[in-house]
Parts: sequence; C-alpha cells; structure tokens
Amino acid sequence: MVLKVKYAPEIPEVFKCRVPLEDTGQVYLMNGILREPYKDSSGVEILSGEESGFVINVPEGISQDGSAQLISIRDSENSTPVSMKNEIRLGAGSSSSFLICTHTLTLDQFVTESAINIEAAENSSSHIVVMQNEHNLSSHKINFTINLQKGSFVRVNIVTLHGALLENNIEAYLKGEGALCELNGIYLADGKQQINTKVNMNHLVPHCNSSQLFKGILDNEAKASFVGRIIVAKDAQKTEAYQSNHNLLLSRKAKVYAQPQLEIYADDVKCSHGATSGRLDQNALFYMRSRGIGASEAKLLQQIAFVYDVLEKIDNKELRDRLQDMVESRLRGEFSHCANCSMNCC
Amino acid sequence: MLTIKGLCASIDGKEILKGIDLKVNPGEIHAIMGPNGSGKSTLSSVLAGRETFEVTGGEVIYEGINLLELDPEERARMGLFLGFQYPVEIPGVSNVNFMKTAINEKRKYQNLPPITAAEFLKLMREKMAVVEMDNSFSSRGVNVGFSGGEKKRNEIFQMAMLEPKLAILDETDSGLDIDALRIVAAGVNKLKTEENSFIIITHYQRLLDYIIPDVVHVLYNGKIIKTAGKELALEVEERGYDWLINGN
Repeated sequence: MVLKVKYAPEIPEVFKCRVPLEDTGQVYLMNGILREPYKDSSGVEILSGEESGFVINVPEGISQDGSAQLISIRDSENSTPVSMKNEIRLGAGSSSSFLICTHTLTLDQFVTESAINIEAAENSSSHIVVMQNEHNLSSHKINFTINLQKGSFVRVNIVTLHGALLENNIEAYLKGEGALCELNGIYLADGKQQINTKVNMNHLVPHCNSSQLFKGILDNEAKASFVGRIIVAKDAQKTEAYQSNHNLLLSRKAKVYAQPQLEIYADDVKCSHGATSGRLDQNALFYMRSRGIGASEAKLLQQIAFVYDVLEKIDNKELRDRLQDMVESRLRGEFSHCANCSMNCC
Repeated sequence: MLTIKGLCASIDGKEILKGIDLKVNPGEIHAIMGPNGSGKSTLSSVLAGRETFEVTGGEVIYEGINLLELDPEERARMGLFLGFQYPVEIPGVSNVNFMKTAINEKRKYQNLPPITAAEFLKLMREKMAVVEMDNSFSSRGVNVGFSGGEKKRNEIFQMAMLEPKLAILDETDSGLDIDALRIVAAGVNKLKTEENSFIIITHYQRLLDYIIPDVVHVLYNGKIIKTAGKELALEVEERGYDWLINGN
C-alpha cells in the first residue's frame, strides 16, 4: 500500500485530518477553490470547476485505485459567502469511492452553499461518504442532485457532527431500469445547532430500488428536521423504495420535525416509510448500571448503539472505525468546537 | 454480608414492601418464595437500586455499608448482582463490548488496570463454557433475538464474568425448559463458594431441586411470613401458600 497523502503548503497547520486513510489521495478546497488538480493511476481525476468547486471524472470501465478524499475548508482568508458548483461524473461501468469532508478553521460566520451534481452512467457504482464538522457559527447547505442511469448504484452516507446550521438537500432521479440509490445519514446536534435534511427520491422507471436510513441524536435546544419523500411515477412498476428516520431526544427542549411522505402513482410497488422520535430507554440504562456501568457511560453506549446501524452502511471498515471514533468522541462531549482544528477558539 | 431491617418501599405511593427483615451470611443460599404480587421482584429491584421504587423505611447494610445510599453501578462494582426476570435487549451493543465495559468499570473501581484483550478472551471462553453458550453469542447485540432460555443463560454468564459476592436471581427459572433450567442451575452451583451468597427468588420448588438452599423464606403482602430450612420449599409445593397466609 502506498500512502498518497499530499499536503498542499497553503493548508493552515491548525487543521488536523482525523481520517487520513492509507491508499487514499487527499485534495484540498480552500474557501471553494481547489488547491491543485489530482489524478490517480486508474485515471480518476479531480479538477477545478469553472469558477469554483471541483469536477471529478471517473473514466469508463475503470476500477478506482484506492479512494480519494476531498477536504473543503473555510477560513478567514475569505469570510464572505461562498457558493460552489461541483460535479461528480461516474463513467459507465466504473467503480469508485470518495470521502468529502467539510471544515471551518476560524470562528467567522461562514455561509457556504454547495451544489454537488452526481451523474452515474450505466452500470457505474460509487460510494460517497460526506463528513461535516464545522464551527458553531458556520452554516453550510449542500444540494445534491443524483442522476442514476440503467444498472447504476450510488450510495451516499452523510455523517453530520457539528455546525450551526447544516442542510442537506438530496434530489435523486432513478432514470434507468435496475438503478439502485441508497442514502444514509447520522446527524448529531447540541446547543442551538440545527440540522435539516430533505430527500426527494424520484422513481421514474420500473425495477429500481432505493433506501433511506437517517438517524439523529439531539441534545439541549438543538433542532433537526427530516423531510423525506418517495415519488413513484405511474410507469415505475416493481419499484422497491424504503425510508426510515429515527430520532433520539436527550433533552426536553430538543426538537425534531419529521415528515415522511410517499407519493405513489404506480400500482405494483413495495414502499414503506417510518419515523420515530424517542428518549433513552430507562430499562436498558438500569440494566447496564446494574452491571457496574456508570450512568453516563451507559447513556453513551445507548447513543452509540442507536446510530450503529447507520455507520454499518459504510463498507470500508477502516473508514467506518475512524468515523465511529469521531461519533463517539462527539457524543462524549469531547468537542465543543470543530474537532479538526487545534485552535479551540470557541 | 447482607442485613435488611424493617425495609419498606413503595411505587407511585402504593406500599409494596411493609417491613422486610433478612440476614444473609457469606456462603449461604437463601430462597424467597411467595405468590404473585407479594413483593419478591420489588425487593430485588430495591436491593439493586432501581429508582422507580421509593424506600420509605428501614435499612440495608451490605458489607458494612448503607446500601441504599449507593447508585446501582456502585452496588454492582461492590459485588452485588441482579439476575433479571426479564433481561433487557440492547440493540447495537454487542455482548463483548457490554461485558468488557462492565468488567473495566469494576476494575477501575478496584484500582486495577483495564483487562487485556487476551485475558478478556480467555475469561469469556471460560465463562461461556459454564453456561454452554455458543461463541456466536458474543458478537450479537445484548439479548437481541435471544430466546427466553438464552436470555437467562446470558444472565448467568454475566454473573460468572463479574464474580459477585452476592447474587440475587429474580425468577431466573421462569420460562425455562428443563434443559435450560439444568444449565442455569449447574452454572450457579459451579460459581458457589464459601465466600459468596445467593438470594434465589422463585415461584416454584423445581429450581430448588437443583440448587439446594440453606434457608427458605415465604414473602406475602410485603412481609416475610415464614422462614425455615429447605424442607419449607417442599411443603409449599405440596400445600400451596394458603396454610401460611391463613395461619392454619
């Protein structure tokens, strides 16, 4: 295994990536501008977008050599609102995986809006993990558009750890038969943080599958919303589409708004949705305490267990373990600021 | 080991325990029998520290310390164990992780370093053999998808891992078939030493064929109405509780 980690010289030293993976190339976006283009031995390239943002090209038929990590950082070099347009083009028959991380390094009131357009050509397959970890004054909105052609598979796992206002809007269009789209997410918020998730899963043709699993843990006065809609067009027979959203509320003032919706125009489909919100299970807490596990540790174990099945959807074990560590330290209250910055400014 | 004097407890203002007196010495096995609703499970819950019950009177001295002032986890770390009548399922927490956390919390309390991975594995294997548990149990979520018998075996396994000084088994025999009952009883007998004690709460004499008690108590309406040797269990099995309740 070759370590292809590249640190661009302009990257401030206070930034610490907690998930550098072996065999994964790192590319930096500073305030929306790509530092330097990237190309790996299998031909996967990451270029600058026209004005800002990135363009990922995965050539037809290739199997990506390792993975690539895009690290998007906001700092005080540019504290004005940044808007980015990004493209991920997955060539026919290719397979790839990407990790996209968003961070902030200074305590400015950053406003970032980022469009990520994913074009999955026939029989392509890609696994995209998005990790969001920003400061308490940062608001970041990502609008995903995913177009899936025949036989393609796109899985997006979003792990939202920290930030003032984080929004993820996902529009997925299953356009070719046999396409599969899987969206999973964890969101953790405390203080006055707010995290909004919106999904429209559009089944346009027959024989496509989709699934959504989103789970959130909210403490203090945090708020979250989940608006998820599955739309099955009249001709999209034999669709299988599932959605679930579960929330754990740790305080009386934490709030979640869940709106699971189904809009089905076909008559031969399997679809389901479900949403819950609840508190920690007191019986399980007592059970753990009766075995000598302290109250706070028992609560933590239960929270980790709550989101475990979402993390399990990340199939790279090394990455999954590191994200699990971050989720754990987040739940332990070990970061009151963005965990990737050594400045501890808030 | 354990001295209970005049213990009274209530839930939602309703008095359940109305003055329990009980003394358990090291090395003794006590059985507590009694009809439904007599307060057996309440007594075990109060001893383990479940907060839904309010102690309204009396005292409990465990190893010279006022037990009622301690949190459930402190009681456990001091060697008290409650085998649940209805073990709780905890999805997402594996048996291994659960036991490792529990053992390390106890070791921390004893000022010992965390257990090494090798020691832990060895201990797991050894104790799983005690209750004839399959290795696949260890990676599964705590009690998730376990049958009634498997859950009870898991309770005995946890007890074996934690090596308590005083174990309270709350109707561990309920819902067990004869094979599971034999395994559970054999587990208890293997763990029995001169130093540790057991309180076995049961409806039936059946379990006491396998685990021979030193003392048998009958609990009724929140009070112990009769205490005798192991022959009392047989008499209860034969005659029911009415003769004790009505005093004839």
